[in-house]
Amino acid sequence: MRAFLVRRLFLLVPTVLGVTLATFLMLHLTPGDPVTIMLGEFASAADVARLRVELGLDRPLPVQYVKFLARALRGDLGTSIRSRRPVAEEIAERLPPTMQLALAAEVLAVGVGIPAGVAAATARIPAVDSTVVAVTLVGLSMPTFWSGLLLILLFSLTLGWLPITESQGLRALILPAVTLAAPAAAVLARVTRASVLEVLRQDYVRTARAKGVVERVVIYRHALRNALIPVLTVAALQFAGLVAGAVIVESVFARPGLGRLAVTAILSRDFPLAQGIVLVVATMYVFVNVGVDVVYGILDPRIRYR
Amino acid sequence: MVPWRSLVRGAMFVVVALALALPAVTHAQPRTGGELVLVSTEEPDTLDAQKTGTAATGLLMRYLGDTLVTKDLKGNFTAALARSWTASRDGLTWTFQLRTDVKFHDGTPLTAEAVKASIERALAPETKSPIAGALFGPVAGVTASGPSTLQIRLKQPFAPFLDNLTDPRAMILSPQAVRTLGDRFGRSPVGTGPFKFQEWRSADRIIFARNPDYRWAPAYAHAGPPFVDRIVVRIMPESAAQVAAFERGEISVLSVPPTDVRRLRATNKYPFFSFLRKGVGLFMEFNVTKEPFSDIRVRRAMNHAIEKNSVLQIGLEGLGEIAHGPLPPSIWGYWDGIADYAPKYDPARAKALLAEAGWRQRSTGGALEKDGKPFSFVLFAAPIDTWRRSAQIVQAQLRAYGVAMEIQTFEFGTLLSKLRAGEHTAEFMGYTYTSPDIVQVWFHSSNIGTGLTFTHNKDPKLDAMIDASRRETDQTKRLALYRDIQKYIVDQALWVPLWTNTNYVAVQPNVDGAKIHPDGFVVLNDASLK
Repeated sequence: MRAFLVRRLFLLVPTVLGVTLATFLMLHLTPGDPVTIMLGEFASAADVARLRVELGLDRPLPVQYVKFLARALRGDLGTSIRSRRPVAEEIAERLPPTMQLALAAEVLAVGVGIPAGVAAATARIPAVDSTVVAVTLVGLSMPTFWSGLLLILLFSLTLGWLPITESQGLRALILPAVTLAAPAAAVLARVTRASVLEVLRQDYVRTARAKGVVERVVIYRHALRNALIPVLTVAALQFAGLVAGAVIVESVFARPGLGRLAVTAILSRDFPLAQGIVLVVATMYVFVNVGVDVVYGILDPRIRYR
Repeated sequence: MVPWRSLVRGAMFVVVALALALPAVTHAQPRTGGELVLVSTEEPDTLDAQKTGTAATGLLMRYLGDTLVTKDLKGNFTAALARSWTASRDGLTWTFQLRTDVKFHDGTPLTAEAVKASIERALAPETKSPIAGALFGPVAGVTASGPSTLQIRLKQPFAPFLDNLTDPRAMILSPQAVRTLGDRFGRSPVGTGPFKFQEWRSADRIIFARNPDYRWAPAYAHAGPPFVDRIVVRIMPESAAQVAAFERGEISVLSVPPTDVRRLRATNKYPFFSFLRKGVGLFMEFNVTKEPFSDIRVRRAMNHAIEKNSVLQIGLEGLGEIAHGPLPPSIWGYWDGIADYAPKYDPARAKALLAEAGWRQRSTGGALEKDGKPFSFVLFAAPIDTWRRSAQIVQAQLRAYGVAMEIQTFEFGTLLSKLRAGEHTAEFMGYTYTSPDIVQVWFHSSNIGTGLTFTHNKDPKLDAMIDASRRETDQTKRLALYRDIQKYIVDQALWVPLWTNTNYVAVQPNVDGAKIHPDGFVVLNDASLK
């Protein structure tokens, strides 16, 4: 197990290198540079050249990339071009609200998605199954920028229940979390439904039923525990996806967070800031994956790592 | 008979009564307290006026700081931190007499030395100033020639100098706060404005508090401190959410997105203000080095051929004005005779000019041809909704003359580099600027290939006219020079000016005394809550 963990953590190095290199290249190869964006179209060529030198953007790309890596290794993510604040400080400030939103959405998605999936798979009434399938289809197909605005119009403007400009506290978290959770819950419900249906066809379930175990115990102890392996994988990867998906939800609901910071960084070609965010999110992805692997072993004693 | 003495006494009584009554009637003291919530789509990069590169910061600096000179609600220069100013005859030395009663938010007095230090910081290379440094122009030196007398010497005459001094990013910062706060100044700025910085919650809101010591407001507002306790600037990127929050009463003042103008106005619930954009919103510009627009007759024909009102009504949904020349009425220097002077919609005249230039239709309704070649060109544009719709109207209108116009859109940065390189025949463009010196930016031949002279027009006469306008410091003479430049540019038919958009601001009915400045911000000095 320890050897496995060490090996997985070593895999972090090429992953992060690859991801930062890809973002670095993408940012530098797309048209537009931070200086012309900052100075606007009326800037003189001399002013543009001066600021480029002052910000170190005149150096060759490989030099800029290596400098970024060397500093990142020492834990220094550099300084944002746009705000001129340390990148680490900007990220540290924006990470907590995003984690809060992603966690709330994950809890909602799991709390709603899994029971809905189980209900659909085990319901005696066909209408339950078809309702769940239909609702999940809607949940999956609604883009969050659209559903978010609809929720604002309904709950804030028409019904007047929830404030729009508030950004702290539980009340401000409800609508964004529901918006972000909806597609995730839909996916979880569908995966759970398929997985439970599959497990219910297994021999040991028939055995359990044959020996007279109560149906509830059959489903929750025998079937669900085994059916949860693929569901867990999806849920864990979703969490990382929720952090990334917060980009849109944070913009619609005007919540502070890492997603909006990333959008600003990319739009203003703030290279150090965009790189820093990618580095943090990629690292998080890798850790979540390792975590999932560890939990597999706990859920299913047959899985062993060497 | 009424004795003379009692008449006098009676008259005096009336005067006293008037003096007592007047303040009660015309200066009814507005209620103090409460907060106004503004909304910004973009988050400022920094609140250091000299280090910012964002428009959002510029708007906020209107509340936090003062400039040496400012503009009144009609757009004329008026005193701010400087009580008065003079320029030497050569336009190189500017002398400012500063107010003596001004204090920064940190309590330090505004002196000539402080202003000098503030301006020198904007110019210093280590400040890495994106905009503020360039605003002051080619500065040779700044001197404090007395406790409240400041001199700025320029290396060469710089026409937009006064205009630039009114830019909020040219505000005067507290040199002491700059020294003590260092890098943290951008998150806790110190100026002299009607509001003081209080708090900045990243990506959420910025809060300013009333400056109780304020008594140096420009003449367009009452001199003393603002009436409301706080301004909260909520940062919300999504415009639909902004509108919903405004309708729910959570936001006091809203810059209304064009899509919601008609609906919100129709509710009749909110006072609406509007101001014309400071710049021509859309014009078609010709590359004069390329066929067919190298021929001035063809360019003039285009000016007669396009019916601009349809372009305005459909392209911009009527939310603006038709443009006639290189300057809009919202920029000082605009010549109001231009609407009559500019070519009018006249299809017959357009056809005659085209025929004169050798472009003829073989059959009625067929393509225009010259030497066997059809009249066709590509219009370069940016992917902006209003531009695309306008381009389609122009395209349909020109088709009626047998002119085939194809539309190609590029991302803005790419578009600019193509236009600089002169790859285009004609393009759609627009601008926003503060001074008539914008004609230098668009038309001076020194800007071909590097700046925005996308006409690629080398015209020594026009260059000389623009150079003269930049050297002149007498405002009346400048007006005459700019009038001639506008006429000349219209004569040369370098553009087909199309429209300039109007911006709309809605205010909650419980807000009193908010005013719209023509420079596009809301004056809140006199605002109070009912």
